[in-house]
Amino acid sequence: MSRINLRVWLIIPDAEAATVKNTLIRRMGYGDILADVKKERLFSIDVDSGDPQELAKVFAKELVNENKENYKASFDGIKFEAGYVPVKVALKIEDGEAISIMYRLRNRLGFQNVKVVEKATVWKLYLKGENPEKAAKEIAEGLLINPNKDSYEILGKESLVRVVAAVK
Amino acid sequence: MKIAVMQFPGTNCEYECLVSVKEVGMDGELFRWNRPAAELSAFDGFIVPGGWSYADRIRAGAIASKEPVMDALREEAAKDKPIIGICNGFQILVESGLLPGTTGNGKVEMALAQNVMISDKKIVRRGYYVDWVNIKHDASPRRCSGSFNLNRGDLLQIPIAHGEGNLVTMEKSLIQKLNDEGQVVFRYCDCNGRTTPEFPVNVNGSTENIAGICNPEGNVLGMMPHPERAFFAWQLPSHDPRKHQKGAVGPGRKIFESMKRYIEVTA
Repeated sequence: MSRINLRVWLIIPDAEAATVKNTLIRRMGYGDILADVKKERLFSIDVDSGDPQELAKVFAKELVNENKENYKASFDGIKFEAGYVPVKVALKIEDGEAISIMYRLRNRLGFQNVKVVEKATVWKLYLKGENPEKAAKEIAEGLLINPNKDSYEILGKESLVRVVAAVK
Repeated sequence: MKIAVMQFPGTNCEYECLVSVKEVGMDGELFRWNRPAAELSAFDGFIVPGGWSYADRIRAGAIASKEPVMDALREEAAKDKPIIGICNGFQILVESGLLPGTTGNGKVEMALAQNVMISDKKIVRRGYYVDWVNIKHDASPRRCSGSFNLNRGDLLQIPIAHGEGNLVTMEKSLIQKLNDEGQVVFRYCDCNGRTTPEFPVNVNGSTENIAGICNPEGNVLGMMPHPERAFFAWQLPSHDPRKHQKGAVGPGRKIFESMKRYIEVTA
């Protein structure tokens, strides 16, 4: 089983990320430590056969609108760049959109090798100060999630595997 | 008796709410989110209308709940003034911790998640949904500001229009607590008042068909259906015989009349 990770971001201005940044700075007091907020959508697709690199290109044609988005594919783990704290937010109740994508890939497009599709949002918090991960945790719990339906993980910069904090 | 109809960027139906407020004999005005929040104390009651505040960014109601005006609204709620949140207004009240408000410390105890329509144990539909629905008043009379004039079991046919109305919670005892304390005000039901959990009776998959709840004190009501869109008989669907009946009124009128009566009684 291989995991294909598609990180998708807007190449046009991201109004949602701008609203989150404004809210954190103007309404929640993070002006001194928050430099910027960016956002990516993350699709993690498990396949049990096929060339992951080729499949990633095909799946991207379905999941990425190249008129307004760009993407990066990685396999199994993900390496995040330095300079921000990546906070992964996902539904912990059933994710209807992820299920719909899986059915679309399997049943309408014929990719029976697709076994699981997961969807998340990765908030990239550009934080200053001594303990950016602690601030990221506060921000996640204070704004980015509703704990009654969402979970979050503060991801390590190097890999999805290292989880610093998680709410399930 | 003056009502503030809150207006955030992306709010809709605020004008319909204002008309409804005035039609039942109250005074009212729109209150924009960026007005000095302290001015809210001059009002006797508040309506947080529906719509897409801040375009539902992050999740419905999340950004609006952080506005200073919501802190002021929390203070007014503590004075037992009535607050009715409709649709996105309900979502804002949930995200701000005003509803269900059982802990009293502003904790977010539940979520209004994405609609999931279930029939015969299968998901038959997801997402945004618009329809006329039946709701049953499941609280005792005078329990809640927005249903003050309603009796237990009263049925109302009111439209919905939302994508995130599926009440979920991770607080294990919350639903039982809401039931025990009479905080479940409205449930989705069929035209005979039966509350089966299946779509289309339960239009969004909400836990125990819950369509509206109030806080423990009863002055704050949140409901997903839009009473202001069923205020006048002419707003009713064409198959409803009341639509062309002389002197008939819409069922949504009762919500606004209840608010007025609540203020009269508690003033």
